[in-house]
Amino acid sequence: MRLRLLKYLLPSHRRSEESDMRAELQSLALMAEPGELGNITRAAEEARAAWGWTWLEQLWRDVQYAFRTLRHNPGFTATAVLSLALGIGANTAIFSLIDALMLRWLPVHNPQELVQLKMQSPRAGAGPAEDGFSYQLVKALADQREIFSGVCGFSGAGFDVGPRGSVSPVQGAWVTGDCYQTFGLTPALGRLIDRTDDRPGAPPVAVISYGYWQRQFAGNPAAIGQAIEVNSIPATIVGVSPRGFNGAGVGSVADMTFAVAALPRLVPAFAAFLTPGNFWLRILARPREGVSVSQAKAHLAAVWPPIAERVISPEWPAAQRKEMADSTFLFAPGGTGYSYLREQFGKPLLVLMSVAGLVLLIACANVASLLLARATARQREISVRLAIGAGRGRIVRQLLTESTLLSAMGAALGIWLSWLSSRFLVNTLSGGQSPVTIDLTPNWHVLGFAYAVALANGVLFGLAPAFQTTLIGRSGMLKQDTRTTHSHSRLLSSLVSAQVALSLLLLVGAGLFVRTLQNLLRVDPGFQREGVLVVDLDGQREGYKDARLTAFYSDLLDRARRVPGVASASISSHTPLSGWTWTEAVAPKGQPVPERDNAVFIAAGPNFFATMRTPLMAGREFDGRDHGSPNVAIVNEALAARYFPGQNPLGQYVTATVTKPPSDLQIVGVVKDSITDSLRSTPGPTVYVSYFQRASATDSLEIRAAASISQIAAAIHKELQPSFPKTPIDVRPLTAQVEQTLVEERLMAKLAGGFGALGLTLACVGLYGLLAYSVVRRTKEIGVRLALGAQRGAVVWMVARRALALVIAGVAVGLPLAWLLSRKVQSMLFGLTATDAGVMGAAVVSLAGAGLVAAYVPARRAARVDPMMALRHE
Amino acid sequence: MDLLQGTLDMLVLKTLLLEPLHGYGIAKAIRTNSSDTLDIEFGSLYPALKRLELKGWIAAKWEISEHNRRAKYYRLTPAGRKQLQAEHSKWSGFVSAVAQIMGPLPEGGK
Repeated sequence: MRLRLLKYLLPSHRRSEESDMRAELQSLALMAEPGELGNITRAAEEARAAWGWTWLEQLWRDVQYAFRTLRHNPGFTATAVLSLALGIGANTAIFSLIDALMLRWLPVHNPQELVQLKMQSPRAGAGPAEDGFSYQLVKALADQREIFSGVCGFSGAGFDVGPRGSVSPVQGAWVTGDCYQTFGLTPALGRLIDRTDDRPGAPPVAVISYGYWQRQFAGNPAAIGQAIEVNSIPATIVGVSPRGFNGAGVGSVADMTFAVAALPRLVPAFAAFLTPGNFWLRILARPREGVSVSQAKAHLAAVWPPIAERVISPEWPAAQRKEMADSTFLFAPGGTGYSYLREQFGKPLLVLMSVAGLVLLIACANVASLLLARATARQREISVRLAIGAGRGRIVRQLLTESTLLSAMGAALGIWLSWLSSRFLVNTLSGGQSPVTIDLTPNWHVLGFAYAVALANGVLFGLAPAFQTTLIGRSGMLKQDTRTTHSHSRLLSSLVSAQVALSLLLLVGAGLFVRTLQNLLRVDPGFQREGVLVVDLDGQREGYKDARLTAFYSDLLDRARRVPGVASASISSHTPLSGWTWTEAVAPKGQPVPERDNAVFIAAGPNFFATMRTPLMAGREFDGRDHGSPNVAIVNEALAARYFPGQNPLGQYVTATVTKPPSDLQIVGVVKDSITDSLRSTPGPTVYVSYFQRASATDSLEIRAAASISQIAAAIHKELQPSFPKTPIDVRPLTAQVEQTLVEERLMAKLAGGFGALGLTLACVGLYGLLAYSVVRRTKEIGVRLALGAQRGAVVWMVARRALALVIAGVAVGLPLAWLLSRKVQSMLFGLTATDAGVMGAAVVSLAGAGLVAAYVPARRAARVDPMMALRHE
Repeated sequence: MDLLQGTLDMLVLKTLLLEPLHGYGIAKAIRTNSSDTLDIEFGSLYPALKRLELKGWIAAKWEISEHNRRAKYYRLTPAGRKQLQAEHSKWSGFVSAVAQIMGPLPEGGK
């Protein structure tokens, strides 16, 4: 029956049925006595109802009618659709980010079963659970077959792929042997990495992503077995992962995946990652079938002590070993994969979602007031329709169709807007240390979200005006009713004041986040970032080691110094805000060295402070005499103040764990505090040791340019690249590195600022609409006033006063709200409190200004009213 | 006489059990077979035919009538036959249940 009914959705089928029915009824009429069959038209109408699609036809007619009405009111339609599009677009854009980052299941077998393991330290004040695990720990957990059917340890990676001279960077991942099995994936081609590949000495084999296979090999099956050079080491492609799967990390694409066991061969510099002391793998695990999460947890707790005995680094101090052994495992839902972006952007995105919600509310209020104003205008039409017998439900349905149609159009436009803006969003997110790859193509989640919002909004904001209109009509009054117009305009005024209140919230938010970014940019970091270039070096990959490596770096430094336009250059183990820091334990000589690291360490070469322009407060910089000579150190003021208060630190000794056993370092200089890991935190005790006494894996050159920085960057690149035949080097300004740490703040400032402007504009449109409407409605009154001798200025003031009254009412509600709500984002702010008076004041002033701007046109129109015309108005 | 809800469908099916008929013929047949007690309004009958057709219980075909006119004839389908059986047993159950309660009217009862 349903199927037969569906045929009636085809217009052609309906038409043929229709004519068939007409023919049949005609033939019957011929047979019967005249009048015997009664009202044939009604019989046909009811027969048609049997098809069950009358409601659809009515809906179609309603939609057509709504389209016509909307087309005849282009100004109204454009304003409403545009308001909604901006509101819905803002929400959809943020929602699509949230969806991509937090809600989307990994394309693996039964993703909802996966858990992410974390470890909670029992120590008080230990902070949130750690999600990094050592290689040994992952392997030990993978052996717990009674608990897990699979345990996958993985980490993002970058590879340089290709033969000498044509190396290109490829994003990838390290995985432990059970990863693909844990995910229940089958290869698109070849085979996936398994346990046999994750053994020491196994030949390095790569699994490439489906996308990479298509791009690099045009989907040619011959890619399997192909020899490639990865970080200049020969490797073999053995398989292609299934389409859609790009690794377990969200926000990055793993185009090439290797077993963790291949790491020492491919990246000798990081061979230490495989030792028990390095916690760098995230874990996604699948509990065994039939084992609940709580059972798995209990079981794991029982087997943990002997495992802990085996996997905790024997080199750790006893206290640290005990803390780890006493830690408990936490199981977090893992079906959506892992992303560091969640920690970083989780809260900002939720805040932005609420902000976008406010924008939508303002837009909705706009549409509601437009509908209300129009409802007044359409009073006559509705009354006539009611009078000639249209059902009230039918008319409400018609009006709702209209508002829903408006919302749907707004949603369509909004989705398009959010699609346009998604590239901008991803770019903003990608400003950080590693590029972010997120697919923001609208999917059914996002489309469903946008349309659900639009529908709810169409019904919600269409219902009130629809009911009110028909209610009035029912009382049978075909004339204008002043009382209802009054209640309309009261409702309109409160809608507009609500808009003002909401946009005040948005403006306060915008102010707070913009000021936070400004404050962070103004922080004195203790070095001058402008004019400095940074070059990260990896000499180990080029085959240098120990003394040869040090000599190689010395040579590079000398050559960089000789490049024309270079004011000074230095070398160090770490650069500020690079995301890498090195910590050790330190104490004045004679005092016990603490078990925990308590200071940041940086190995710096000669001229380091001159190059960075970090002021030297006392003593000297490192220089040539520190090469391999007695251990010396330069400390920052914070360290000097903590350990040598009131003394001259120069010549004193500190004991630090830079070597085993800890060595004594003589302080030869004191420098101003300088930021290392975050612009938000004040620098703690820092010890600089002489670079050439200790080479490390994350070395960089710093070069201060005396001329145009881009020209010097090119010159440095040209000078140094020939020494790195295997790896492309990256010469980048230090300012870019600092900017990278402000991604979150920039995102908030840009979007909160944008949404603030959007909200203000929408509120202005609402205010303008209301004022324009009331001027039109009061034309006659204004005419009378003018005729009785009122000054034009007084009329202008009348309109402006109304605007200000609405703004003041909005501010009266919005200000306390802003004061309450802004505290929720206090932790995201910097250099000001959430209730900053300046920000609040600026928001109020800009609202008042915007209100007067919105009042300008209606006020002028009011002033231009011709008394004679106005009196003839009706 | 008014009809109970759903009875019309059953009457139509029963009428078509004997022979295929056109819409007017069905109305006439019901009237004749009920000795003029049931005069079905065409305005109710015709939508019922369309409903039954959509349900697949009856099927229609254009044929030439006894008066050499084209007319649409409805006949019972196998599904309709089954439906009629079901309705029939339901109906007789209903009738006997009502009869039990009602019985003969006692003397003087009102």
